[in-house]
Amino acid sequence: MSNKKDILYSLQRNISERYDMPDIDLLEGIVYPDPLEKFIEVSKAVGGDALVLKPEEDINEFIKTHYPEAKTIASNLREIEVATFNPDEVEDPHSLNGTDLAIVQGEIGVAENGCVWIPQNVKHKGIYFIAEYLVIVLDKTKVVNNMHEAYRQINFGEKGFGVFISGPSKTADIEQALVVGAHGAKGVTVILK
Amino acid sequence: MSTKHTKAAERFLSDKQQETWHNETLWFVREKRDRMAFSLPEWEDLREMANKIKMHTITHLDKYLDQFSEKAEANGVIVHWAKDAAEHNQIVLDILHGLNAKKMVKSKSMLTEECHLNDFLISHGIDVIESDLGERILQLKGEMPSHIVLPAIHLKRQQVGELFEDKLHTEKGNSDPTYLTRAARQHLRNEFLTADVGMTGCNFGVAETGDVVVCTNEGNADMGTSMPKVHIVSMGLEKIVPTVQSLGVFTRLLARSATGQPSTTYTSHFRKPVDGGQMHYIIVDNGRSDILGNKEHIQTLKCIRCGACMNTCPVYRRSGGFSYTYFIPGPIGINLGMLRHPKEYSDNVSACSLCYSCNNVCPVKIDLADQIYRWRQNLDSYGKADPLKKTMSAGLKFLFERPGLYNFALKFAPLVNHMPHFMVYNGLNEWGKGRELPRFAKESFTSMWKSGKVKPKK
Repeated sequence: MSNKKDILYSLQRNISERYDMPDIDLLEGIVYPDPLEKFIEVSKAVGGDALVLKPEEDINEFIKTHYPEAKTIASNLREIEVATFNPDEVEDPHSLNGTDLAIVQGEIGVAENGCVWIPQNVKHKGIYFIAEYLVIVLDKTKVVNNMHEAYRQINFGEKGFGVFISGPSKTADIEQALVVGAHGAKGVTVILK
Repeated sequence: MSTKHTKAAERFLSDKQQETWHNETLWFVREKRDRMAFSLPEWEDLREMANKIKMHTITHLDKYLDQFSEKAEANGVIVHWAKDAAEHNQIVLDILHGLNAKKMVKSKSMLTEECHLNDFLISHGIDVIESDLGERILQLKGEMPSHIVLPAIHLKRQQVGELFEDKLHTEKGNSDPTYLTRAARQHLRNEFLTADVGMTGCNFGVAETGDVVVCTNEGNADMGTSMPKVHIVSMGLEKIVPTVQSLGVFTRLLARSATGQPSTTYTSHFRKPVDGGQMHYIIVDNGRSDILGNKEHIQTLKCIRCGACMNTCPVYRRSGGFSYTYFIPGPIGINLGMLRHPKEYSDNVSACSLCYSCNNVCPVKIDLADQIYRWRQNLDSYGKADPLKKTMSAGLKFLFERPGLYNFALKFAPLVNHMPHFMVYNGLNEWGKGRELPRFAKESFTSMWKSGKVKPKK
């Protein structure tokens, strides 16, 4: 406790002039003619994929066709019948290792950078990162233009964790050569419906 | 006239091919940053907003840190306060001992480099594993990062290939980046699964909610905090932003400025410990509150550690991160080093051509070059002014104060144009090393003016 007091006192002692907080709402973030189209374009540019599911298309068929090699498929979403297990029934997150594909629900898409907001809506957040491939299901009416709009809308939920994901895990730490699939998903597809 | 920086830069420059690659690669990152900046009509407004939010926040840190810690504690986070590096390290060790933890997996944190945490923990028997690929490469190689965002930018793929052959038993002679990254993925996956504790740095701490935000491309911060039940966050006290809404400004600027990406792959918001686990924040001062009282250098506290000032810096690009004597190189590192210890790190202030490019790319508008200029003006007071330059300055002062002598000297200057090369470029001409002298004009402006040869433009 005394360390806190000392540090706060040291800060107070050193502050000579206090500056005002600007009004963030005065900043006009970029707005796109078609945010959904931009979201799809940027998702591809960051190494992921995004597509609108047509009314006649079935999401389970789609997943089967696009991930024919996936054997262990995790999802807690009721509509995902191709799931081989519900990750919420797994006690220890370490057991999620070896998951080929995870299908999770996203809440908000951001057109300017391809981010999807996911407030923790599974038992173990590890499933978002440990699966070899990730599919994010997103309501296509929930795509906003920019991060300012996104932060106005985000919620956290009970678990106290949320993440913006933009494309697959990547690194360029060896000679600046881009390699997809560093520690997290090697591929991310956003299914908009 | 040589500083430690110029001597080290000379070694870096001796490998011409590597130097060219380093220069061009970082310039390419700078160009990617430009494309991102130009794609947003509001880019300059964003920078100005970020500057103002940071100036407000750092000058209200007493209030915001109090609010941040109260909120975090209400969320179930254990908050620790460290005045210096030693206290920070001891707090980490005490947490680990309390849990009987043997292995800690870390994501990238410049603060823990500042505190020399790894060496301390390893000396106390803790297995510390860096999980960012670049940081892991350096840890295996026993080297320091040479860039704050691209830590292994000084290494070639063959060097990484050889290192992995030795440490991770990869195929002999295979230095394909995808192959090597996959090998590291497998190796580090195992470390994530067997670690007792995960540690991350902190990009932003949100005062109104007590959240900590961590940005990575690899997902290593997330893997490291999803498997172990304990998460330790090490954060400099200047990392605070007031509100969730202000995060929008900084997350839009950070990746665009750092690597020219529209966003990092993962922007993770941590609020509470995982079920049945623990979350610790260690808020570190280590000299930061003193910087707040230093009007000439207070703006360094706005830094969001994007590295854009390094990528654009012509001196950094052509001399490499290891030429600087402080662990953070480039324009921001020159200033932070001087703030840490002016006598020890003054060799770096010469590593700047005052081109001001850093000021123009900095997403939070830190007056980086102005600060470097000010340090140089004060070098004499640290006893660090260059004696040769001092002599030269005294000589020039003598000359400039005597117009007759000055004009006399100028009249004969063109003779240098006709002197043999060895007479002009030798050990006595420090300036001529690696540079060609400009040609002296046959006639000075003053004499042209006086004889009516200069005609005003109509």
